[in-house]
Amino acid sequence: MKSKSIKKVKVKFKLNGKELELETKPNKRLLDLLRDDLNLTGTKEGCSIGECGACTVIMNGKAVNSCLVLAGEINNSEIITIEGIAQNGNLHPLQENFLKYGAVQCGFCTPGMILSAYALLRVNPEPDEETIKEAIAGNLCRCTGYKQIIEAIKHSTKITDG
Amino acid sequence: MNPEFNYIAPLNLNSALKILSASKSRAKILAGGTDIIPGFHIGSKRFSSTELLIDIKRIRGLDTIKEYKNFVEIGACVTFSQLSESEIIRKYFPLLAKAAETIGSVQIRNRATVVGNFVNNAPCADSVPPLLVYDAKIQIQSLNRKREISLQKFLIKSYTTALKKNEIVTKILIPKPEPELKGDFYKLGRRRAVAISRISLAVLMKTKNSLIEEIRIASGAVTPIGTRLYELEKFARGKAANSDTFKELSIQLGKKVLEITGLRWSSEYKLPVLQQTFYQLLEKVSRDEI
Ligand code: FES
Ligand code: FES
Repeated sequence: MKSKSIKKVKVKFKLNGKELELETKPNKRLLDLLRDDLNLTGTKEGCSIGECGACTVIMNGKAVNSCLVLAGEINNSEIITIEGIAQNGNLHPLQENFLKYGAVQCGFCTPGMILSAYALLRVNPEPDEETIKEAIAGNLCRCTGYKQIIEAIKHSTKITDG
Repeated sequence: MNPEFNYIAPLNLNSALKILSASKSRAKILAGGTDIIPGFHIGSKRFSSTELLIDIKRIRGLDTIKEYKNFVEIGACVTFSQLSESEIIRKYFPLLAKAAETIGSVQIRNRATVVGNFVNNAPCADSVPPLLVYDAKIQIQSLNRKREISLQKFLIKSYTTALKKNEIVTKILIPKPEPELKGDFYKLGRRRAVAISRISLAVLMKTKNSLIEEIRIASGAVTPIGTRLYELEKFARGKAANSDTFKELSIQLGKKVLEITGLRWSSEYKLPVLQQTFYQLLEKVSRDEI
């Protein structure tokens, strides 16, 4: 009965630098929009309730959990996912350093970790270790024990990019 | 999977209020969404009858912190990130800034709103004890009425507030405290990030000639709702600001909390921790004074 009256939402937004316009169901989460409709599966679903950070994306320059954002809410916003941070076919320095310092094991947390670090470095290119830890406190990793991740982020500091 | 619902993002308060009152309680207000969206996902009964979400984030003027001569205004869409980064908040309401920093993770703080933190009156709303000791008021609007109410009165019991179905909380108003009021906020959570708080306390105190001239105490999480402990405050006023008084106050706090909550399985652990925490908090605040 309810579903009959469901109106689709229209959203216009920028995704990884490209303007997009689409219509979707109002109960769709940004996470599902990215993964299922736009085939950007770099964004992961872990807990689905805002606790693990695997679904982290950048929205208007800030790290957010895409499992806690509804499609309608992204109207007029700018979204960056893990697929959008490499430039001209070159990995982003954070990505390079995650590989170099062994910060990736199963890799499930990696996109979210990298984007949390990315959001931090955009506003604070020279964070100390405490600040790095605080920035990734909402990203859980079950494999690495965080040490390598923090190392990788530390070696990516002072990088100022767009 | 989320249930089916409609979504609308009105551009001004009046249309939001119109839609809300026309919806006959099948609508819910959406601000940060960090409570309601996972609530849908886990099938929480609190949201099961929702057929429409009214997103208030596009309404102009609700996402700002404004300073006036005697008070500061926090709009309904102000996030915890905005709060902890605000110079105004840091200057006048350091306990609130501190509480804001301890909430959730960066991702949560970037979305979750201060008003959303108490509008459902969950016991673990960390911003409530600081707001209470600062005597925060809230402004509530419906189509034909605007009213102000103290936060303490607004919070009725767990998950129940004085908000009517056709009303929206539009802002928090906090009077600037006297500069002599010093205080601290303490929170003990299970895990650092995303800890849903288990014990939280806020204290503001002003001493004169080693006597407690003014004191405000609020607890959260340990009591079913965030609450000011007025009796305890009354008991403390005029007493010497020393360890003996602080010990006595801690004992009284334990009693009071037992009285409010009744014995719970966790009391055996919580109570001594609470008393010890409170004692240390009072010592610390009084030392900072000197
Ligand atoms: S899937 Fe979004 S925070 Fe875990
Ligand atoms: S690498 Fe496996 S969860 Fe982090």
